[in-house]
Amino acid sequence: MSRILLLALLVGAAPRATAQVTYERLLRADSEPGNWLTYSGSYRSWRYSALDQINRGNAEGLKVAWVHQMPTNHRIEATPIVVDGVMYVTEPPSNVFALDAATGRPYWHYKRSLPSKINVCCDAVNRGVAVLGDRVFLGTVDAHLVALSAKTGAVLWDVPVADSRLGYSVTSAPLIVKDMVITGISGGEYGIRGFLDAYDAATGKRRWRFNTIPGPGEKGHETWGGTDAWKQGGGPTWVTGSYDPELNLIIWGVGNPSPDWNADVRPGDNLYSDSAIALDADTGALKWHFQFVPHDGNDWDAVQVPVLVDGEWQGKARKLIYWAHRGGFYYVLDRSTGEFLLGRPFARQTWAKGLDARGRPERLPNSMPTEEGVYVWPGVQGATNWYSPSYSPLTGYFYLTVWENKGYYLKGEPKYTPGNRYVGSVPDIDVPDDPGFGAIRALNPKTGEKVWEYKTQTKPWSGVLTTAGHVLFGANGGWLSRDREEMEAYFFALDSDTGRELWRINLGGTMAANPITYMASGRQMVTMAAGGAIFTFSLR
Amino acid sequence: MKPATLLALVSFLSAGAQTTNPHSSQADREAGARIFRSHCGSCHGSRGTGGLGPDLTSGTYFHGSSDADLFRNISEGIPGTAMPGVFFEGTQVWQIVAFVRSLSGPGAPSSIPGDASRGERQFRQQGCLGCHLVRGEGGTKGPDLTVIGSQRSAAYLRESILDPNKSVSPEFWVAKIISQGGTSHSGFVMNQDTYAVQILDFSRGLLTLPRTDFKDFGIDRSSIMPAYNGKLSDEEVNDIVKYLLSLKRQTERSQ
Repeated sequence: MSRILLLALLVGAAPRATAQVTYERLLRADSEPGNWLTYSGSYRSWRYSALDQINRGNAEGLKVAWVHQMPTNHRIEATPIVVDGVMYVTEPPSNVFALDAATGRPYWHYKRSLPSKINVCCDAVNRGVAVLGDRVFLGTVDAHLVALSAKTGAVLWDVPVADSRLGYSVTSAPLIVKDMVITGISGGEYGIRGFLDAYDAATGKRRWRFNTIPGPGEKGHETWGGTDAWKQGGGPTWVTGSYDPELNLIIWGVGNPSPDWNADVRPGDNLYSDSAIALDADTGALKWHFQFVPHDGNDWDAVQVPVLVDGEWQGKARKLIYWAHRGGFYYVLDRSTGEFLLGRPFARQTWAKGLDARGRPERLPNSMPTEEGVYVWPGVQGATNWYSPSYSPLTGYFYLTVWENKGYYLKGEPKYTPGNRYVGSVPDIDVPDDPGFGAIRALNPKTGEKVWEYKTQTKPWSGVLTTAGHVLFGANGGWLSRDREEMEAYFFALDSDTGRELWRINLGGTMAANPITYMASGRQMVTMAAGGAIFTFSLR
Repeated sequence: MKPATLLALVSFLSAGAQTTNPHSSQADREAGARIFRSHCGSCHGSRGTGGLGPDLTSGTYFHGSSDADLFRNISEGIPGTAMPGVFFEGTQVWQIVAFVRSLSGPGAPSSIPGDASRGERQFRQQGCLGCHLVRGEGGTKGPDLTVIGSQRSAAYLRESILDPNKSVSPEFWVAKIISQGGTSHSGFVMNQDTYAVQILDFSRGLLTLPRTDFKDFGIDRSSIMPAYNGKLSDEEVNDIVKYLLSLKRQTERSQ
């Protein structure tokens, strides 16, 4: 406890004038748990905090510390960033608030003017900002990247990433690597050609671009069957990835090929859709890739956060990646080479007989969409999705939000018209008579076996956070709307060792975000978005 | 006026210049169906029967039922709702309109036979108000029918009268619960979550019952409304349907 108090004193005493987030601080982000400096808490993306003021012995006493209401009609998917007493959180579509982290009172509000028509498949959302120096970086749904003054919210530069009229948008939080801002792109339902970009943090000038769909002459282009489908091949990069400074590799997930549910127009494996990619941080050159679903027809993006762990693997020290993919398999990869080490289902799936020695799925018949429709587990939203998993070095478990459900997959016309949806029909996302259920699960990451589960009626859209207090924070809220009021909206604390419930509260709104924790005024705070608000909890 | 508002108005006026659908052939409907499946089905259901978005098979629409209304709402989206606009040329939007129209089948409400005032008398005589609410009068054991004429088609209403079990909205499913202490509960399922079931208990009112206290729990998805098939003449059914169709939203009534 004394360590935490000391830390709190240090954080509280830090003069604001020196609140510069250097790259060195980002490299050691998990050594200052009083802040939350990057999307997933650190470059390793464990979403684990060393704070233990809130622990499994006292979590039942959690109370609301403050609420910040935001004037938005869009779903909040943001992970806040907390730097030396200031919280930077996005308000969808593409606005930013700087709040006092102790009280939630706003310092400034950046409001972006947007074109009247915005092409975002599933609501105009934003998952957060990145911070470097005294700058806050924001990707926007009109496909720009913006640098704001951390002190005032003033625009320092504003550059186009792509043409939003063609279905490109930015919804993900950027990742800072060295002096660069790395941003992904959204638009897999609009026939974009995906990429991952690096921009100079000082000027906004682009340093490199990696096209996730290789063009003529590039390796991997042959996986598009000699057709022109690659031009609208999809492969968005809409969830923030991870970074290994020793290997100098940016590791990022790539989303679905376009059109989503009619794969006939794109014969072949469709690289690098549904893949993990590892890029040289300085050049953007591809070092390795691992494709989870070749020739996907079910929209099973690989946009999960790569969890980087150094551990023993079969008696040998190895640099590993833990990855629970939307298609229902949990994977362990070697992150130096991309070598497949383990794969095992973590939820019911009916599309693959199994994985071969190199991790390639053995497709079962009747698992791709048809004109008449076909039931397949998991459903289109997957056995898990973009919301964050967590790894606790304390328990050694890998935690994630799981959906146990089926979908009804229909195939339709794959017609491309610029700026419009290009999906080739749509599946029935929820089967009302058999909606399935949700769960928070702890896996043994070395085997993929389930250790415990906390079942939920509503299939959750939120990620998980674990802490040194042996606490897991999670939520079972879905997307509430006029026609979906049955969905619940509980935020809860579980014992991370056993899954036993410690505390819960109904926040009464859509929940589709990831919790974080930090220190303010000597108190450990836990923050979660729900409805149109940011809720922060502490012990008193 | 903000530039965005002005722009929206200009585009609305240019589209609104055309008030009836110039693209309503069979080929247009089929083209519209293909577009609908890919662009609208995720919310409205691949067959237009609703989901996140409303059921489109009734022939009447909450935000306006004229061709121009449909064109505007598809083209520009509906402010304040989750309905987005699309990027299509006018022709394709009209094709979607043609398909959406076809979902409610032939027979616009005006061509329905029957007499609304006779229907209202019949409705009262049959005791429908014992369960249904109409403009503040009636019961709570069935759907509120105050604006049902803006929400449902004649065919749907006829079916609901003759065979109520054909389509029962989940809010009228009946929970049957026996508690650990032996108390029986019966009532509409208002909501459910991981920890509790919320019901409108038929004798005790609104209750939230913790699942940990359940000895037995089941949900009956059939309707508690009696079927009127064979109990009413065709003419009487027509009259009641005609009456129900007259129960419109205020703005539609005043038009």
